[in-house]
Amino acid sequence: MNDGLKRRDFLKVVGASGAGAGVLGCSTEKVENLMPYVTPPEEITPGVATWYSTVCGECEAGCGMWVRTQEGRVVKVEGNPNDPVSKGALCSKGHSSLQGLYNPDRFKGPMIREGGQLKPISWVEAEEVLAGHLERADNYYLITGSTGPSLTGLVDSFAGDTGGKILNYNPLDHGPLREASRIVFGRDVVPWYDLGSAKCIISFGADFLDGWLSPLRDSRGFSKMSAVGEGGFKGRFVFAAPRLSLTGQNADEWLPIAPGTEALVALAMANVISGGTAEAGPYQEIVDAHSPEDVAAKAGVSAESIRRAANHLVEDGPSLVLGPGIEGQHRNSTAVNVAVAILNFVAGNVGKTVDYSSPQFGASSRSSSYESMQDAIGDMRTGEVPLVLVHAANPAYALPSTSGFKEAFGQVSFKVSFASAMDETAAMADLILPDRHFLESWGDSSWRSGRFSIQQPAMQPVPHFDSKQVGDVLLSVAENMGVGSGNQSFYEWLRLQWQSKAATEGVSDFEHFWREGLRTGVIDTESESESSSSEALRETDRALVFDSPEFDGEGDLHLMVYPSARFGDGSMNANRPWLQELADPVSKIAWHSWVEMHPDRAESLGVQNGDVLTLSTDYGALEVPAWIYPGIRQDVIALAMGGGHTEAGRFANGNGVNPMDLIPAEVEALSGGLVHFITKVAVTPTDDRYQLASIAGSDVQSNRPITPVVSLEEWTRGTTEHSDEGGHGPLKELQGIGGFVPIETEGLPENFPLDGSKHGEYGKEDEPRWAMAIDLDKCTGCSACVTACQSENNVPWVGESQVAMGRDMGWIRMERYYEAVDATQAGPVDIRFLPMLCQHCNNAPCEPVCPVFATYHTPDGLNAQIYNRCVGTRYCANNCPYKVRVFNWYTFTDEEPVREGLGHIPEPLNWQLNPDVTVRENGVMEKCSFCVHRIRNAQNRAALEDGVLAETDVVTACQQTCAAEAIVFGNIKDPNSKISRISKDQRSYRVLNEITNTQPAVSYLKKVTFHEVVSEGH
Amino acid sequence: MENDAVNVSRGSLAHPDIKTMAEVNVDVLKPLSKPGKGWWMLLGLCVLGIALLFWSWGIQMVQGIGVTGLTSPVGWGVYITTFVFWVGIAHSGTLISAVLFLFRAPWRQSIYRVAEAMTVFAVMTAGLFPLIHVGRVWHAYWLIPYPNSRFLWPNFRSPLVWDVFAVTTYFTVSAVFFYLGTIPDLAAARDAARGFRKKFYSVICLGWRGTDREWHHLSKAYIFLAALATPLVLSVHSVVSWDFAVGIVPGWHATIFAPYFVAGAIFSGVAMVITLSVLVRKAFGLEAYLTIKHYDAMAKLCLVTSMIVLYAYLSEFFMAWYSGEEVERAAFWQRLFGGYWWATWIMLVCNGFVPIMLWFKRVRHSIAALFTISIFVNIGMWFERYVIIVTSLHHEYEPFAWGMYRPSTVEMGIMVGSFGWFGFWFLLFTRLLPPVAIAELKEVLPRPMKPVADSSFVGTGSPPGGVSNG
Repeated sequence: MNDGLKRRDFLKVVGASGAGAGVLGCSTEKVENLMPYVTPPEEITPGVATWYSTVCGECEAGCGMWVRTQEGRVVKVEGNPNDPVSKGALCSKGHSSLQGLYNPDRFKGPMIREGGQLKPISWVEAEEVLAGHLERADNYYLITGSTGPSLTGLVDSFAGDTGGKILNYNPLDHGPLREASRIVFGRDVVPWYDLGSAKCIISFGADFLDGWLSPLRDSRGFSKMSAVGEGGFKGRFVFAAPRLSLTGQNADEWLPIAPGTEALVALAMANVISGGTAEAGPYQEIVDAHSPEDVAAKAGVSAESIRRAANHLVEDGPSLVLGPGIEGQHRNSTAVNVAVAILNFVAGNVGKTVDYSSPQFGASSRSSSYESMQDAIGDMRTGEVPLVLVHAANPAYALPSTSGFKEAFGQVSFKVSFASAMDETAAMADLILPDRHFLESWGDSSWRSGRFSIQQPAMQPVPHFDSKQVGDVLLSVAENMGVGSGNQSFYEWLRLQWQSKAATEGVSDFEHFWREGLRTGVIDTESESESSSSEALRETDRALVFDSPEFDGEGDLHLMVYPSARFGDGSMNANRPWLQELADPVSKIAWHSWVEMHPDRAESLGVQNGDVLTLSTDYGALEVPAWIYPGIRQDVIALAMGGGHTEAGRFANGNGVNPMDLIPAEVEALSGGLVHFITKVAVTPTDDRYQLASIAGSDVQSNRPITPVVSLEEWTRGTTEHSDEGGHGPLKELQGIGGFVPIETEGLPENFPLDGSKHGEYGKEDEPRWAMAIDLDKCTGCSACVTACQSENNVPWVGESQVAMGRDMGWIRMERYYEAVDATQAGPVDIRFLPMLCQHCNNAPCEPVCPVFATYHTPDGLNAQIYNRCVGTRYCANNCPYKVRVFNWYTFTDEEPVREGLGHIPEPLNWQLNPDVTVRENGVMEKCSFCVHRIRNAQNRAALEDGVLAETDVVTACQQTCAAEAIVFGNIKDPNSKISRISKDQRSYRVLNEITNTQPAVSYLKKVTFHEVVSEGH
Repeated sequence: MENDAVNVSRGSLAHPDIKTMAEVNVDVLKPLSKPGKGWWMLLGLCVLGIALLFWSWGIQMVQGIGVTGLTSPVGWGVYITTFVFWVGIAHSGTLISAVLFLFRAPWRQSIYRVAEAMTVFAVMTAGLFPLIHVGRVWHAYWLIPYPNSRFLWPNFRSPLVWDVFAVTTYFTVSAVFFYLGTIPDLAAARDAARGFRKKFYSVICLGWRGTDREWHHLSKAYIFLAALATPLVLSVHSVVSWDFAVGIVPGWHATIFAPYFVAGAIFSGVAMVITLSVLVRKAFGLEAYLTIKHYDAMAKLCLVTSMIVLYAYLSEFFMAWYSGEEVERAAFWQRLFGGYWWATWIMLVCNGFVPIMLWFKRVRHSIAALFTISIFVNIGMWFERYVIIVTSLHHEYEPFAWGMYRPSTVEMGIMVGSFGWFGFWFLLFTRLLPPVAIAELKEVLPRPMKPVADSSFVGTGSPPGGVSNG
């Protein structure tokens, strides 16, 4: 969704009153009969969706969302096209927020612990209890995750009035980055990065595609800079880190530097650019002392590769250098970020692609350092702390067990949790006041200084759960205690904040301002942001150590703990089957944990895929199955966060291990942040094996042209043959003799109808012909399309045992093939992503073999699957060369699983189901339908309104959610449509077409590489 | 009395141990009596098998096809393997009874009844599997073109619909042919029976009196049905083979499939006939009727078809390599050296190498050796279909989609249970219907001669009970 607003404005104005989202009649009883409203609510037309703007609360990026509701319940979330961060896209975590909203393990109401058991109580009682404790406590802690500006203001004032000390806790805190910004530019901020404007990016481990800072902004920016543009320019991306994350897999070159040597390499690059000059200001001496030759040996990469990368930074300017993420956060992290800032400065990027004056998070977003958490733990341990409140945080899970949080927390006399569902911290609480999900809440969010979004509820609170917004609770408790400010509800407080803000902006008509904010989802305020290009490097006021730090433990194997690409820190979103079953973009493993290990290291230990290993450090030991990965240094192994839950709900508990149990809780000296990359680890194979649920049959193309690429040089010369010629000359000759000759065509409008294939050619003259093109140069492999499709089409989740058998049911899957990955030296990375979905072949092999015509070709070019007619012989799936057809081996959609561990949909998860799409039962085959329900909806609406179907009216779910804008969909018979232009592109090809003559309607644009490709598949 | 070879009818195999026509009736109708303990035990075993079959099927119907080991990309496994296995076995019976009838083969008469029975029951067993393997069996009737309010036809381009017609036609024709040919023998059984049995046989022999007219009509009908059944031997398994050949799966999409499968069907069917007839022969003392010469002939048929099948294997491998096509080559390489290498080698050894022993007369004339070889052949033929289906599907075009298939206990239970089902009907046959074709056998036995007035002979006269009617 990149061309601005939808043509038709779906948004109805949401009234300022709380009844704006009001629909009554959503009872919890199973409705057996369909009865029309006697007096229908005004805004609701059954069958027609109502959309609301809000902002996602899954991470700190604060992407704007559009929420689709039908009959008063939320059925889908998508990106808000008006929102400058998401621009209409949404990541997997965002989509999974639906399963957070309808999480069956949410608390049914407030609870109090009596006799060791949690018992339900009423809100009135619960608030009284809380008020009582607050009054008696002379001081207490309030641990909270990140909250929007208004709620933060309320919490601050509440804590101030009641004697509380606030601890902002964010497991993925960016302390070292902020401290470095403060040291070098005097601002304690997370700068704003503009990847899209950079011509060359070097990342020292920042996983900007996996979830660092603002994944949608950066996916979009990366795609813009890295994909070949009209002018034939391709931005270069170099990844310098010990491990290839998903972000690293998208790089053009990998510098597999030794653990902890990022600062040295960054300084060496700065040396190349500015050595011998005075550009680096107070740091010139240090820069001069670190030439590439000096650091090459320590870093483990050649000086020449460092020099080359540094030269790219200035040759292709403006460029951008990014510092390490959480996984590389070691004892000298702040120094690394300082070195990166210096490098950015001498490369001339400050103020262009990295902006310190208008930083990412608004002034109200802040994070306490881990140091203050450590102090709090010490305090709690004494047993003197009478009260702790925990909100939007799960420190009992997310902190390392060696931090002693659990023990200390246990010593607190009275513990209160605002968690909306059970988690490890709430499991220790004495009083639970369940907060609402952000889709049911009022609030606001600031994603950049001066830029805001209002968060509004999209439906009445899910009736199964008696929840209350934390803001309302605090206000009510404050009233109770006599320190209230007279506001009855958080909604009023919110409006009050905005009224004063609007006043300072000089807004006269507040109601109009408010409604526009709610309608568009975006509020921009004037903020003076001096350009920071006039910044100068400041001298450091702290002692910086740029050398690689000490690692605890013995041996040469370092343990990397990284935020999961699916869960992030995983402390509060693990109870979501969509995320659990989403194959990790790097390992393609679902449900369980794995430890990544280089093939050489594995061989030396005699370890194969699936062997269970014991990892032990000085701080803990875990057993976890191994997964062999060429994209990690031999002296590093890596574990993702997000596993090992014990109290987080039925889908999360028991899956995998929590790597935080292996690392100590150490504060990084300069920033106060938590050090993650800190210890070495000993690996001992056990005798056990574990069947990892991987969706990857093979990781290599095996001489088949599944994802051919074209080198930049060849593409610029314009010498690639177009599409389907492939490398099958000899085959064609044989075919010529043998009789069968594939139909030569490129699927262009003028080729229709195809010779020998009259499938679906019985449409009218002006019938559209739907086709799709996916640009593999833009696709980053993030798999957001997988979750979007699952959400849109009611695709069931099947459970770990079924995924391990190969029965996962994604309608679109993210294939990943290795071509060149070398962890021993600097060199090109060639890892290819291919989103594989039903190709809607014009010459579909699945159609002739279905005995009952359950699959056929529609006049508008779709390969249709009629669920009601399918008898389940599975011949169609056998005959599909792409294996995109998925079978319902069981009924995965009942409230109870057919057998233990199988997919099912307990109440109220079924509220999420899209009513425009059926729900299939066992024995039925299903597959991608090109979102036919969206096509028909758009056609119907066009027919009702003005008879013209515009290109932007029909958007498939996968296309819509892709931040990289890799997917294009439309009517290929329209010569002006984007799809017909793209299909003629020189890079366009169709998978397997020359071997099978399936004539897919989906074409792919070859990825463009900097290096020459020598593999057979080309 | 020894009948002279000079009076033996031309083109028949000698049955030197059959003395008189009356003997034939007595010997062949002997099994049609109260069964002994052994038979009851075997029947019990078969009933257990049937119970296992329906119990497993019931679980599958209630819970879903997921109880099998099937997955993506291997959507077909043990069920379709067993389906093709049973259909293949059926063909040999029709070959012996219909095709060899038209060719006037000299040795078919004593064996063809058992063979044809095997055909009918094998088709009945095979017919279960399309129902078993389907995802929604309660809608399986949609494959049949029945009049419906939506004017929906099944898809006649789909080989599965061709299967429906082929298998039902085959079952109908075989059953009718079988029944028709048995009528005179049922009349003989009626004549020799008493009490309830007599009533039973009277009904099912349709009141056969053995008149000239009846014989005339029967032989005309018999020839007609034989002619109708003959093309089915070639067509039915060709159609079944097209379940695979029409697909684009590498390893399936080859033109050799129709003759390859038909040869394979004869091969496994003859082997099964050998297995069953050896058991029947032993159990009912029919050594005089099923002589070594019969087994020699069947063994030669086995050998010929085994060579055709081996040729087909070799040509498939050769063409895959010769084509230079990466996907095809990889699929066949995987067969030999991939995850299912053991299945492929069982197939090659059992079907290609073990039958080489049949070149040797000593082996062909040893009942024990033939029995053993026939079991190996059937194991090999089951694995041939398993290899074709599973190895091709698990390693196709898209490497990311490759996977492994492991049959579950439900699938194996149904497969084993199908043998119980087959065995049940066959056991009933052995006790209710004459195992050898009495009437046809008598046609090729030397005619009883009038005794020469010679004092050195003791006249035997006509057999007791008058001239036999058949």
